[in-house]
Amino acid sequence: MRSLGLIVLCLTPGVVLAHASEQGFVLLLPTDVYITAGAASVGLTIVLLTFLPARLAMGVFRAPAVCPRPTSHLNLASSCAAALVLAGLVWIGFVGPRDPLANALPLFVWTVWWVGLVVIQGVSGNIWRWINPWTGPAAVLGYVTGMHPLMRYPAWLGFAPGIAVFLAFAVLLLADPAPADPTRLAFFAGGYWYVTMLGLVVFGPRWLVRAEALTILMRCYARMSIFGRRGARISIGLFGWKVMARPHVAPGLAVFILILLGTGSFDGLNETFFWLDLLGINPLEFPGRSAVVTQTIIGLLVANAALIAAFGICVWLGLRIAKSDITLLTAFCLFAPSILPIALGYHAAHYLTSWLVDSQYALKALSDPLSTGADLLGLGTFYVTTGFFNTPDTVRTIWLTQAGAVVVGHIIAILLAHALALHAFATPVRAALSQAPLAIFMVLYTVFGLWLLASPRGL
Amino acid sequence: MTHSTTRRGALKTLAAGATAASLPMWARYTHAQTAEPVKIGFQVHRTGIGAAYGRWYGRTTEAAVKLINDNGGINGRMVEIVAEDDGTDPKRGAEVVEKFANQHGCDVGFGTLFSHVVIGSSPRAGELKLPYFVVSEGHHVASGMLNRYTLQPGITDVKSQVQAMAPFVAENLGKKVTMVFPDFAFGHDHRDFFTAAIEAQGGEVLEHIAIPPTETSFTKFFPKIPRETEVLYHVMVGPAVLTFVKELGEFFGPSRPEMFGFIDSLEAVDIASPGLEFLEGTYFWEGNPRNAQADQSEHDKFYRAAVGVDENGASISDPTDVSTYAHMFGCWETLHIIKAGMEAAGYAGHGDRAKLIEAVEAMSDMPESQAHPQGSKLFNGKTHQVFGHQYISRVEDGKLVKVHTTSIEDTLYPDEVDYTTQPL
Repeated sequence: MRSLGLIVLCLTPGVVLAHASEQGFVLLLPTDVYITAGAASVGLTIVLLTFLPARLAMGVFRAPAVCPRPTSHLNLASSCAAALVLAGLVWIGFVGPRDPLANALPLFVWTVWWVGLVVIQGVSGNIWRWINPWTGPAAVLGYVTGMHPLMRYPAWLGFAPGIAVFLAFAVLLLADPAPADPTRLAFFAGGYWYVTMLGLVVFGPRWLVRAEALTILMRCYARMSIFGRRGARISIGLFGWKVMARPHVAPGLAVFILILLGTGSFDGLNETFFWLDLLGINPLEFPGRSAVVTQTIIGLLVANAALIAAFGICVWLGLRIAKSDITLLTAFCLFAPSILPIALGYHAAHYLTSWLVDSQYALKALSDPLSTGADLLGLGTFYVTTGFFNTPDTVRTIWLTQAGAVVVGHIIAILLAHALALHAFATPVRAALSQAPLAIFMVLYTVFGLWLLASPRGL
Repeated sequence: MTHSTTRRGALKTLAAGATAASLPMWARYTHAQTAEPVKIGFQVHRTGIGAAYGRWYGRTTEAAVKLINDNGGINGRMVEIVAEDDGTDPKRGAEVVEKFANQHGCDVGFGTLFSHVVIGSSPRAGELKLPYFVVSEGHHVASGMLNRYTLQPGITDVKSQVQAMAPFVAENLGKKVTMVFPDFAFGHDHRDFFTAAIEAQGGEVLEHIAIPPTETSFTKFFPKIPRETEVLYHVMVGPAVLTFVKELGEFFGPSRPEMFGFIDSLEAVDIASPGLEFLEGTYFWEGNPRNAQADQSEHDKFYRAAVGVDENGASISDPTDVSTYAHMFGCWETLHIIKAGMEAAGYAGHGDRAKLIEAVEAMSDMPESQAHPQGSKLFNGKTHQVFGHQYISRVEDGKLVKVHTTSIEDTLYPDEVDYTTQPL
């Protein structure tokens, strides 16, 4: 009967009102020209690099030291504070307002952390060291109980648990019908914190860097950032300099990095008219996430598998062209981190629009965390606005900012891949040849990323 | 609507009025019984395709509840809104309704906008006997496909809106019409309702041009518009609307037929936006005039101020943040009807839900007032649907200037259901 009802509702006349403004103005922008310009910038970088002396290409990733590294355990104290904040947020998730745009937990998780803090981590440095909610409590627990890890983390597991947990997170983000429901999210966040603490107690800190997907993700993006530790000093350099400082990653981590990009791209793709049309869904009356759970999960897995395969083929082709004797696995692990800036650039671009709106709700929630009418920040009558989606000038600025993040991400990726190739191959000519397939891949991916931003969306 | 319905409704309204007159006495009594708030479950499209509307529905709801509470609440009890996001998703909608009834202890459910979510949620409200006040504009309530616990007393339905346009179009714009609409249920509603209505006015639709919903360029469809077309009726929705207008302007140049559209296409879009100049001099249906009119009522003035909307229909804090003015009044009016219904029923708790349904069914005339700033209305207790004035505006210097107000009679059509025969 219920399924009959669902069929009927698709056929029943009624009003459906999709919102025109922001995307309407994007469709009026000369995005074809912008996409061509973006792809050309990436292509030009490749040409330039071919003629650039190797020394210069390597030199852009030099990172001078700026100050001595502070040595203290303050990060453990701040981690304990972060755990308390998380506990407070989970509590608000259970007892606070039911509206996900009024409840502080979903606003924190999906707006402050997943968009804001992830981007800050990727741009500035490893703030996760200070704000993760596990290392501090684990240290306190160890100190108080004198406990040591009960078991050694099985080396053969590698990053497999981390990959599995990240995919589960992606399913929650993309396929779950209500990822922002405060109660459900409180259950997930609180439960995940607890299970991770158990993992830490049983396997020790290795659990965090192999199985805890959020820490792995944050550490990956920390490799991208401009500030970083080098010996006893803090250094500053171009995005990705830390990748150059420690080029090779484990195969599991290489796969994890590709899944970061694959998931991000699918996050964009699954909202487009193109994807909905593929599923046979009218984008102007999208039947809701619960109607496409299976399709989204399949799409997520296929997108990631396709990206890993495409990347692997490009690396393999590069090795053949350069007649290199480096193994495919070695090269795969060497070049995978060069994908990170693309993933981060797209992450920032994709979420910019929702962040501009939801960060206002987050500010409101911060001022009135329990929806009691409090105004801790003195905001007064504060109306959330989306006016910037309603004028062509602001929409153009927003779109070009998004496109800029995507293009800059790709340019840095090209630079990084080129420098990594120079590092690995005997001669600059071989290095350049090895990069040809990957470079074409990156130009095409630029076009794809910009097309995702320019495409009409149905969600 | 039949004559007997009106008479029956009038009698019941009188009875309800008599109950309301005794309000202060038992309101105090009720208040003495319980200081628990009246809990209104607000099913809001916070995420999903309805999010832009959800934001304004939320803002209007907040303002209405503040007003009701400032004036002493309902039967002496404060109103508490329990907002739950349904993700603009019918399946979640049904779950949200269930939460309202079983988890949050809400007295009523309220506020659902998108048709498919209403249709997905309403059966659960009926099963749980939770009065469910939708603000959707869909014809699904009056068509008889829902149930006795679902009512739409605060916003008119699309069938009445569309048919009420035909007399004005035929008399003032022309009788030879070409319709351009998206090729799915929403567009088909307009096609069916308007074609019948214009024919009743002695006009005809020369051509129905159905546009596939995924289309983002329209030039190839325009040659299908017959040369003898006097009026182009358009109801495009979705992100490609602005492209549609731009390409239409390029196609016709300065010599276009008269044009008539539904503001649904450009709800929350500034009509003075660059690229929309082609709309100058064209006509739109508006559920409630976005721009404050020369004859603006004191009630509209009050309502705008309470919601925080300026004379152009934009947020007072950001003139570019244009509201969904043609629809969101429905939340304000529905909440006032819930209040009036609860007061008429002497509503004291969940046991009085059936009485609340009967009290609302007994309503009939709703005069223009602070509670009904969009205009006076006539509620049909049998079909659970309200009928009201519709507005036609002309774009002049980038503003929507009201040129015609339909009568309520123009919007009426024969009953298609009598929900009062269903058990409570």
